[in-house]
Amino acid sequence: MHLRAFLMSALRSVTSGDRRYHLWMGSLTAIMLVGGYAYLVQANHGLIVTGMNDHVSWGLYISNMAFLVGLAAAAVILVLPAYVLHDVDFSRAVLIAEGVAVSALVMCLCFVMANSPGYPWKWWRLTPVIGLLNWPDSMLAWDVIMLNGYLVLNLAIPFYILYSHFIGHEPSKKKYVPLIYISVVWAVSIHLVTAFLFAGLPARPFWNSALLGPRFLASAFTAGPAFMILLLGFIRSHSKYSIPDMAIQKLATATTVAAQVNLVMLLSELIFEFYSPTHHSVSARYLFFGLGEHVALVPWIRAGILLNVGATVILMIHPLRRNPRVLMPACAMLFFGIWVEKGVGLVIPGFVPSPLGEIVEYTPTWVELWVTAGIWALGLFVLTVLVRVALPIELGEVRSPYLEQPPEARAARPRATRPRYEEARPVRRR
Amino acid sequence: MSADPAPGLPPGADDGTLLQKPVDRREALGLLLAGVAAGAAAAGACTPLTAATPDERELKLLEWEEFTQKHYRRMTEEERAETVARLERLAKLRYNEDATIATTDAQPGVLFGYAFNISKCKGYRRCVEACINENNLDRHQDTQYIRIFEMENGVVNLEEADATYQHEVPMEGHFYLGAQCFQCANPPCVPVCPVGATWQEPDGIVVIDYNWCVGCRACMAACPYWARRFNWSAPEVPPEEVNPNQHYLGNRHRKKGCVEKCTFCIHRTRQGRLPACAEACPTGARVFGNLLDPDSEIRWVLANKTVFRLKEELATEPRFWYFAD
Amino acid sequence: MSPARWGLAVPGIAAVCLASGCQEGRQVGWDQPPPGTAEVQVDSATAARNATLEPGVLTTVQTLPVVRWKGPGGRPFEVGRRSAAPEAGYTRLFGTITLPIALRSRAASLNQYPCTSCHQGQKIVMENKRIGDAHQNIKPVHPDQTGAICSTCHSPDDVEVLTLKSGEHARLDESYRLCAQCHFSQADAWAGGAHGKRLDGWEGRRVVMACADCHDPHKPAVPTLIPFRAPQLERTRGHAP
Repeated sequence: MHLRAFLMSALRSVTSGDRRYHLWMGSLTAIMLVGGYAYLVQANHGLIVTGMNDHVSWGLYISNMAFLVGLAAAAVILVLPAYVLHDVDFSRAVLIAEGVAVSALVMCLCFVMANSPGYPWKWWRLTPVIGLLNWPDSMLAWDVIMLNGYLVLNLAIPFYILYSHFIGHEPSKKKYVPLIYISVVWAVSIHLVTAFLFAGLPARPFWNSALLGPRFLASAFTAGPAFMILLLGFIRSHSKYSIPDMAIQKLATATTVAAQVNLVMLLSELIFEFYSPTHHSVSARYLFFGLGEHVALVPWIRAGILLNVGATVILMIHPLRRNPRVLMPACAMLFFGIWVEKGVGLVIPGFVPSPLGEIVEYTPTWVELWVTAGIWALGLFVLTVLVRVALPIELGEVRSPYLEQPPEARAARPRATRPRYEEARPVRRR
Repeated sequence: MSADPAPGLPPGADDGTLLQKPVDRREALGLLLAGVAAGAAAAGACTPLTAATPDERELKLLEWEEFTQKHYRRMTEEERAETVARLERLAKLRYNEDATIATTDAQPGVLFGYAFNISKCKGYRRCVEACINENNLDRHQDTQYIRIFEMENGVVNLEEADATYQHEVPMEGHFYLGAQCFQCANPPCVPVCPVGATWQEPDGIVVIDYNWCVGCRACMAACPYWARRFNWSAPEVPPEEVNPNQHYLGNRHRKKGCVEKCTFCIHRTRQGRLPACAEACPTGARVFGNLLDPDSEIRWVLANKTVFRLKEELATEPRFWYFAD
Repeated sequence: MSPARWGLAVPGIAAVCLASGCQEGRQVGWDQPPPGTAEVQVDSATAARNATLEPGVLTTVQTLPVVRWKGPGGRPFEVGRRSAAPEAGYTRLFGTITLPIALRSRAASLNQYPCTSCHQGQKIVMENKRIGDAHQNIKPVHPDQTGAICSTCHSPDDVEVLTLKSGEHARLDESYRLCAQCHFSQADAWAGGAHGKRLDGWEGRRVVMACADCHDPHKPAVPTLIPFRAPQLERTRGHAP
């Protein structure tokens, strides 16, 4: 009965809100519907309606998937300190991080399904006994297991914690802490496995390097906390949920360090490819300088690098990093810069030129753009739903109606001793 | 909804609180459900939910069976016979084709090898033409398994080669090199498939179960020789040009969303015939045979000619050698 | 792969072969015609002369032993080392291996064959500049390149045979014996299977053609042709439905 109450109250939390909230959800739904239509077009006619071809056989979908696996993995930046190191500052933010992980994973799985469309339920062929899962040979099989497992973990742990709070119990550490430990290791693994998917192919010298796994992790730990900072800042200023300044600052430090490591790796990559160029450097030459008349990716990667370098430099300056008005735009710059570097700057050049030396460029079509937009809208929708469910419970406003004690008594539990954000800075209402 | 928040303004005017107005939960749910209902109605109107004629019903049933069929390697002999009978019937219903789909296994004591003479190839592309006709390749996307590269004498660099030449051949000062699937002994495309839809047969041919393939294209990323093609749309072959002599793992009519590639004409070579490319080459530049037969021509080439393979450093062990006169 | 390394691999492959059950190699169809073809084998020049070409029927001739020139170390000899005496050459200096090859009859597909339908036995003037008189379709490109005249290859006494440098005669179907006198490495490759192509499948006895089936003996160079259409390198194909 508590469960039914939980679900009903969750539904209530999600469907109630002011007009701004409904406009947001409505626009997301509209984008999802157009994306759904584009997906139907793709499923009907085949992927010929996209810009992919026999030469560039992976495009926007796999680019986004690679980026989003990183976003999902980056939840570990919050999970590890909050649960394992008992860092009090992060404890307010960790559930939101897990929500981000869930929505990023949902987006990843949708992108994988968009990449090979048709009936989505043909993926039954992946299940081990009735189908055939080519594990441990296939990195994609590993990826499927890792992504779904991480999704289950990130749904189970927050659900347990929220539900416990909902029914007025303290969640038992013995139950969820082992899962936390598993999820910390798992988080790093999902992104490494995705990197190995690319790095393990000697046919593609652009990807076939030992540095690709570490690069993936560095860029994930840059973009993930950057997104978290933006999200937490938004939650802080638009709801009663308080997040300590220190949490944001620690996240900013983590992002900065990861961004610096990412730049070092980029430098390493550039020296590796261009100090003494070989046939294996042609893809890198295509990406950074173009090959003859084929220069489609050059403006993108240069913009991406500029954003990354600029944001990293800004964040390295302490006073600037502490100023939210500079921090937020810098995080946005990092987010987009990493998206360019890891999305189109990774997947597409691996296919140009083809292994037999032919050059065919790639431009996404309206179908791909709308399916991508639809899936991003789906992800943001899922994220909004999860945050919308979690916040009232964490604020103590929502409790199971079957409890003996009234909610006000529950709220008298001791909280963190640091001053609440609202006391330090009043909430600005627009 | 209740009291007017901005007295003094005309009713309905924008007083800055438009977006903050709370919306009743019931209203919101109602709108949501209305949208879902409308969408479902529209979707339902577009799909035929009931099949009308007996042919259509049979087609739907066969398509369901095709969708849920097992992996080819797990099928018994009877199941294989049943599967190809179903596929032949589907080809008749869908495309009005009278095909015969074989399931011939690899013959014992046979391991196929291929040698390509780059002095003899003159770039005529007769092999490409024969392959398209023999393997029922998609005319709409102009799928070609074989690529012939025109290379300048002395420059063995694929990046500077041109496969799109369209002039009289052979051109002075150039030589020609053809590439297709090399049926590697250590194929990098086989372990990456997440569903195990591609594997190497005992006679060396790397095959694909088109009905099991989910179309993720990891194998296309993994192949160092760009040997695999994808059906980006449903393949179209003019009915009068269809080759009805087909094999389950070879040139049967594929559907959109699966990967395909050269299979050394598995439907011919398992019957003792040469692949279409070797048969069509007017200059005899292509040598095909059984590597386990010491008297075969392919063994003579490997013993007496200076042979090389592409991208030897990748340890793929292709079964396709190049040699010169 | 050098012959030595391949030689090391052979026992391994043979072991695999024996283990998988084939005891005597691929003897399938050793004396059979290729699948789906009827075969008519003609034995003598007379029979070849009278054979008619039927569609779907492969007309072959019995071959003389094909010489696979193998000397010390398994490498081909130069022709120059051969003894001039016709009967002394082959068996003493070279190994002779009989290959199961069926040769497609050339004589039966010549337009103006049999030659004796015009040449009634009298001696013919064998000079290049007289070719145009009766055989307008023959352009003596190769004779002009090599300094040969008609009688270098054709016998003035019997126009249906070819003359070899050793003084022997070869039938029109056995052009390989003539061409191999100079083009010995191509002939070696042809005997091994790397020059020319098989007309049948890949297993069993080979059905091949002799030199003149592909190379016009008087103008042997391969012509230039317009190739089949080039592939379209795909650019973005955003086909709106």
